[in-house]
Amino acid sequence: MVAIQTPRILAPKGKRGIQPSRGYRIFQVVNAIVLSAVVVVTLYPFLNIVARSLSDEAAIITGKVTIIPDGFNITAYRLVMKDEMFWTNYRNTVVYTTVATFIAIVLTTTYAYVLSKKHLKGRGLLVGIAVFTMFFSGGLIPHYLLITGLGFKNTIWAIVLPNAISVFNLLVMKAFFESLPTELEEAAAVDGMNTYGILWKIVLPLSKAVIATMVLFYAVSFWNSWFSAFLYMDKLDLFPVTVYLRNLIAGATGAGSESMIGDPDAVQAAITVQSVTIVLTTLPILMVYPFIQRYFVTGVMLGAVKG
Amino acid sequence: MFHRYRGRAAMVAAGLLSLTLAFSSACSSGEEKKGEDLSAVRVGAMEKYGVGDQFKATEAVSFDILYNNHPNYPLNDSWLFWKELTARTNVTLKPVAVPLSDYEQKRGLLIGAGDAPFIIPKTYPGQEAAYVASGAILAVSDYIDLMPNLKEKLAKWDVQDNVNGLKQEDGKFYLLPGIHEKPWLDYSIAVRTDILEQLKLPVPKTWDDVYTMLKAIKAAYPDSLPFSDRFSKPTPGGNLFNIVGTAFSAPGGWGYQHVNWNEKTQKFEFAGATDGFKQMLQYLNKLVKEGLLDPESFTQTDEQARQKLANGKSFVISANAQSIVNDYRPDLSKTIPNAKIAKIPTPTGPAGDIVPGTSQLENGVMISRKARDSKNFVAMMQFIDWLFYSPKGMEFAKWGVEGVTYTKDGSGKRTLTADVNVLGLNPKGTKHLQKDFGFYNGVFAYGGTSELLQSFFSPEEQEFQKVMNGRKVLAVPPPRPFNADEREQATLWETPLKDYVTQQSLRFVLGQRDFSEWDAYLNELKAKNMTQYVDLCNKAYDRFKKAHG
Repeated sequence: MVAIQTPRILAPKGKRGIQPSRGYRIFQVVNAIVLSAVVVVTLYPFLNIVARSLSDEAAIITGKVTIIPDGFNITAYRLVMKDEMFWTNYRNTVVYTTVATFIAIVLTTTYAYVLSKKHLKGRGLLVGIAVFTMFFSGGLIPHYLLITGLGFKNTIWAIVLPNAISVFNLLVMKAFFESLPTELEEAAAVDGMNTYGILWKIVLPLSKAVIATMVLFYAVSFWNSWFSAFLYMDKLDLFPVTVYLRNLIAGATGAGSESMIGDPDAVQAAITVQSVTIVLTTLPILMVYPFIQRYFVTGVMLGAVKG
Repeated sequence: MFHRYRGRAAMVAAGLLSLTLAFSSACSSGEEKKGEDLSAVRVGAMEKYGVGDQFKATEAVSFDILYNNHPNYPLNDSWLFWKELTARTNVTLKPVAVPLSDYEQKRGLLIGAGDAPFIIPKTYPGQEAAYVASGAILAVSDYIDLMPNLKEKLAKWDVQDNVNGLKQEDGKFYLLPGIHEKPWLDYSIAVRTDILEQLKLPVPKTWDDVYTMLKAIKAAYPDSLPFSDRFSKPTPGGNLFNIVGTAFSAPGGWGYQHVNWNEKTQKFEFAGATDGFKQMLQYLNKLVKEGLLDPESFTQTDEQARQKLANGKSFVISANAQSIVNDYRPDLSKTIPNAKIAKIPTPTGPAGDIVPGTSQLENGVMISRKARDSKNFVAMMQFIDWLFYSPKGMEFAKWGVEGVTYTKDGSGKRTLTADVNVLGLNPKGTKHLQKDFGFYNGVFAYGGTSELLQSFFSPEEQEFQKVMNGRKVLAVPPPRPFNADEREQATLWETPLKDYVTQQSLRFVLGQRDFSEWDAYLNELKAKNMTQYVDLCNKAYDRFKKAHG
């Protein structure tokens, strides 16, 4: 969509403006076609899932459902919404995502701000420590031993703390802060503001774009994550909804041994139930996108181009 | 999501490996020979516990257990199962809930981190081998004397060969296996019987008959691909290669074992290189070539295969007892109401009327080595013996409480009580045996006598089992346990070999490679260390035979 709008910006006043070259116009057309194809490819499976969630089981089995529901009904929605564990896990996801995103933003912002200051002694070392973790990790079992040793098992901290700083996000943010004119901060300092005042009153208000982007990055990754919860939680009512969904799909598709299979009613509903759970799980995070997307474009560009 | 999962899986593997190494070096130095004096670990245990005794701990005890949480009957603390279990045995089980989707991964992690519960169920034979070297798992064969019911079954039921197959290099086994009284085979193919009637075809007995039948169906429905198969994810042709291969003495798919035992030469030979394997591929290739078997059978999802069947585009499909009742009949009732479909006795081939003997073992229970030092160790083993191996315990885990979830008539036939349903046996029942009571749970209820196994079967399935039980049970290959170094080497060879066999099997079957290139194929396998691998197996077999008879 962005690409299609660009010509207007390049040639605002008809012939007087810079004429886009022929090659550029071809590029535009090709771009539009390719991107439309990408839209179709990514949108179709999702619409298909939505349609399935609203369809009759028989229609799905016979392969009649594409993107329009066949045999419209909401039985599966009722079935899923009736399950208390689904809502418990859903609430967990919301809580984990909110807390984790908050912690992540606070830590990433402060760390990135510190790293963006060229006069900081030992800055290289601090960057090095962060980057080191991008390439090397202790491995799964040491991680597990650490988290268990800290007493985080079966608590929210096992999920929200270990992944609080994503190094990629940190570097993007650092680049963004470095691109802010230092004169602004110097002026504030001359007027008697301390470091925290500068960060809070000057830098952060100017960084809404990058922060919104980071919120989106973090929130989406925490919302989708299931692995830490799977590792560190032993109780069903502590799992996020992603684990619930994953288990549901695995259970419904496993080649059954004798006692793996529930009663026919439950198995019958499985395909639609899966779709409903997927839709309900994706929906909230999907709705966040449109509101943050505009920051998303400008935000990341600003930081990245500078480097 | 799934990409990340793969990465993590690799991490687990790497982690486990390093841990195994650390552990094994630690153990070799610090190993002390414990006398089997169990007097210090008898708290709660019964003085005299034998076959036929109801186990009841002399004081209240509790054990942690790894719990495989099935989405169809999610773990529930208020299940009658837990309450009644405690009432009967004085034991409280504390489940560590793990989603079924990733059970194996978490099990590996917990064992690796030394954080595993004492009782680790839902472990299939062979899976325990990875943990043996680390010393984290108890050699349960040393403690069989604590388990009278298991001991009795090992002696009375014809399972000695199977259990020998569980033995590791030290001649001990580390898994308490689930045991069936008789081998049982659930998988076969399902056939649209209304089409058979319409075309006046007999029910096929051998795979040659199946070919004749498919030919006749194809003649009547030229536009169809009469046989379109499922169970191809993640193993292509998982069931088909297995059951056809078994008929040709060379199981593939799910049943692929890397090496097959040759009774004549008394040696192991590479499974994907045998003549039987070639004949199996040639047979399937014939079906594909003549348009009788859908080439997509080996790659499509179960759902796609079901769609073809439901839409009348195919008439034959792989099946087990459940898929007939839960999938095909409901599917067809919505699309072709007068269609009839049934599972036929698994067709046979040159190998004769046989069933593989390995089908007598089920998943089983591993015991964490730490449990040996718990003061309740003996009580725990007695408890496991009661719940998993005593007739009363097995009946309890499967059917529940007499008078509450089921009733028993004079002849011993059990019936679900009026308001309890499971497997659609009692459609009017409002409560579910699994979901609402916690019985018939895959973690606790498996194996056992044929009578108990078949108690939930429909008359139709019992008929199927009767035919299968009439067949000769194939001998189980002798044990050939690797030591730790060999296992590591073997794994490095096995994976590429197996992948190559799978890949080339498909090419042969689908006609992309001609059978005239079979010798070239064998040479390619040799280039992938086939000979060395088979030698390794035979070496391990000889060594074990010398050491343990």
